[in-house]
Amino acid sequence: MALFEAERLHMRFGHRVVLEDISLAVEEGELAGIMGPNGAGKTTCFNVLTGRYRPTRGRVTFAGEDITGLPPYAIARKGVARSFQLMNLFNDFTARENAAVALPAMRARGFDMARDAAADPALAGAADAVLERVGLGGKGHVVAKNLSYGDRRALEIGVALAAVPRVLFLDEPTSGLGAEATARLAGLVKSLKGSVTMVIIEHDMAFLFGLADRISVIHWGQVIARGAPAELRENPWVRASNLGKLT
Amino acid sequence: MLAAPRTGLVTPAMLFAFALFASLPLWIGAVGLYPYLGVEILIWALYALSFNLLLGYTGLPSFGHGAYFGIGAYAFGLAQLNLAANLWICLAAALAAAAVAGALVAAFISHRRGIYYALMTICFGQVLWFIAIKAHAVTGGEDGLLKIARLPADFGVAAFDLSGNTSLYYFVFAIFALLAMALWRLVHSPFGRILQAIKQNETRATFVGYNVWLYKFSAFTISAALSGLCGGLFAMAQASAYPDVMSLHYSGYVVMMTLVGGGFVSFWGPVVGAATFFLARDVIGALTTSWMLWFGLLFMLVVLFRPEGLAGLWQDLRAGRFRPRAAARAGLLAILKR
Amino acid sequence: MQPLLDLLPHLLNGLTLGLLFALIALGFMLIVGVMEQINLAHGSLFALGAYVALVIVGPENLPEPLRAAWAAVPVGWRYVTALVFAPLLVAVVGMGIELCMRRTYGKDPLYGLLLTFGAAMVLEELIRVVWGTRDYVLPLPGDISGGFIFQGLIWSTYRFYAAAFAIAAILAVWLFIERTPYGAIIKAGAHDSEIVRALGINLSRLRLFVFALGTALAALAGIIMAPIWGIRPHVGVDAVVPAFLVIVLGGIGSFWGAVLAGIAVGLVVGLTGAYASEWSLLSMYLLLIAVVTFRARGLFGKKSVLEA
Repeated sequence: MALFEAERLHMRFGHRVVLEDISLAVEEGELAGIMGPNGAGKTTCFNVLTGRYRPTRGRVTFAGEDITGLPPYAIARKGVARSFQLMNLFNDFTARENAAVALPAMRARGFDMARDAAADPALAGAADAVLERVGLGGKGHVVAKNLSYGDRRALEIGVALAAVPRVLFLDEPTSGLGAEATARLAGLVKSLKGSVTMVIIEHDMAFLFGLADRISVIHWGQVIARGAPAELRENPWVRASNLGKLT
Repeated sequence: MLAAPRTGLVTPAMLFAFALFASLPLWIGAVGLYPYLGVEILIWALYALSFNLLLGYTGLPSFGHGAYFGIGAYAFGLAQLNLAANLWICLAAALAAAAVAGALVAAFISHRRGIYYALMTICFGQVLWFIAIKAHAVTGGEDGLLKIARLPADFGVAAFDLSGNTSLYYFVFAIFALLAMALWRLVHSPFGRILQAIKQNETRATFVGYNVWLYKFSAFTISAALSGLCGGLFAMAQASAYPDVMSLHYSGYVVMMTLVGGGFVSFWGPVVGAATFFLARDVIGALTTSWMLWFGLLFMLVVLFRPEGLAGLWQDLRAGRFRPRAAARAGLLAILKR
Repeated sequence: MQPLLDLLPHLLNGLTLGLLFALIALGFMLIVGVMEQINLAHGSLFALGAYVALVIVGPENLPEPLRAAWAAVPVGWRYVTALVFAPLLVAVVGMGIELCMRRTYGKDPLYGLLLTFGAAMVLEELIRVVWGTRDYVLPLPGDISGGFIFQGLIWSTYRFYAAAFAIAAILAVWLFIERTPYGAIIKAGAHDSEIVRALGINLSRLRLFVFALGTALAALAGIIMAPIWGIRPHVGVDAVVPAFLVIVLGGIGSFWGAVLAGIAVGLVVGLTGAYASEWSLLSMYLLLIAVVTFRARGLFGKKSVLEA
């Protein structure tokens, strides 16, 4: 049984059909890639899978449980985390505070109005560990809006990781990153592979093809191709489109 | 800040503020003022602190907050006249009535923010104000509820008569100190931290697993409840409760003093703002009846040029980051050139 | 149960109110369309219009030699002068607010909200300082005031004229927006400010002008409304609410949608006045609460700058 499954998702905004009969299945420990041209519906797909939108039709299942239409915070609490294409950080918080607020330990004490959040060394320690993992060790005290772009991208993923998710959705994590930062990110994703199930939307083909176990190609709201990277390289549509500048 | 040393129950700033206020009756006469001013300042300072929980910490603009202050005042008076002339019961009634009203309104508005939120709070504020004026039988209409007495503070082992301004002041100070400490703990607790996260990025807060609606609902209800308690103290202090405090005009006062004082960047900002407001009223008001106009203009200037307010200015000064007036003038020119 | 015929004067009231609400809302909508912010002080400018008209009409505000001369002018002409010049003067104040708002444009919308809220407070306080809190009455020419009896019901003469003025103003705005090049620029600016800039039009000046126009409309509505609502410092809030209702109900950008929505709101207020006169204004606030609770995106579902 797949850990995360989408069955025949159909999403319509007014008269516009954005997703049409999308089905996906992600096995535990797998790294699934999603690619496709701009406006294909990739981010909308993410939004439906993580609860931001309720699909017009279709079902989303996580660990056997039907999560269709649940509010995003409820889905997140079940162990689904996501990062955003346009960064969504807590800009006035430090990097450490950004990570800390996502920790399950913090979430568990959400309505604690009396105890001092700063007094718990376990929180700070866990937050620092996350920062270390994404390459921000030592920058915990820097306010998020003052971090460099590359560091903010790393923090964007860090916040999602801090929640100790079972499934991690990354929306174009290499967006705007240079070669070195992209390589670092690839290293991070590789290190997470196996322990965290991941679904990654990407435009950077080399990045995705080098890491994903299976990739789905979405175009005009439909899955037009699916398979392991090697198979997709042979796919006539992928080859014909200018999606891939593959080495 | 998580890396900072453990935030204590009391801090140096808090001790300074408490010392200043605790000693007020001793020196207030010497500076040409009077103890009742201290009572007003402390009540409104606490009101502003409660208000800032919403504005400064959660980023929610409540422009009709006077309604809950007023409900608390009326509840205090009505409890005294109809339930029991017991200070604790009346204060509890003020807190409870405002909490209920706040919760009802919060249920309607907590899924919004920004302009819709502000607008809804204005609408609810106006509706409640209107009801207060029209419900003659209960509230005394435009004349208000009169003959509200200063009930003695009976602790069982000892009772204190609060009819004198100085003794009332110490009572209000005690409540202020207790609740200020409680609010200080609250904003540094996980709950407070999550409110701040919601202020910065509601979307991310949701996707990280927080029921943002519930947090906004709670913040509003708590804020309204404490505002109501302040209203109760106010009713007792001036022996009456009247609809004016629920009007949009009055609701604007707490917004202005909170921001001018520096509520956006400092916990104590609202206290500074309340003190500034009342000092302006008495000192500048003695010179001109249009002091309120100048305060309003000051508010607009603060929003435009120094949103960190007086407390923020103090923080900048201490860190040596004070920008000279030339920068402000440059800012003004930039506006005209755009 | 009130016989239907008795409702007619209230319906007329409602229609008149509605047309004036539409006028306020049009000014508001023009501003919201071209700017990125909501101006909470719009209502205060409405109120200011009535007060400034009061000053213009009343001869007691002039120095001695002019006073007698102005008092000798028939009240009708004085009223028309006020109707023309008061909105212009208030438009200047509106432009001042726009200049202040500029600094908040790129920032968190909370600042714009706080600024215009502050402006509303300052304007209301200004009114209190200058004119006090008592109710004033705007002198009207005898011909258009008073009432008459028709078909056994009491009708207010002024309501007819007020409705007529409002219709004339609305048509004038329509002509301006739809039939002049300036109007076309404003529509373009509301639709896409980037294009306007690319066409070489000074966006800042456009915004300033639109703000002035919107303010003038609010002030004009304030003058026409003065004999109906009375002149008090806090009528400002009562004017902003219908403006919001109209754009929430009708969406930003539809001219006739705004007019229809305005009339609808006015009719609700007017009819409430028939059954529970004290609560008629409150019906507006309750209506806004209901509309925002159940259908915040307007009946046409368009996303707007209000979605913060």
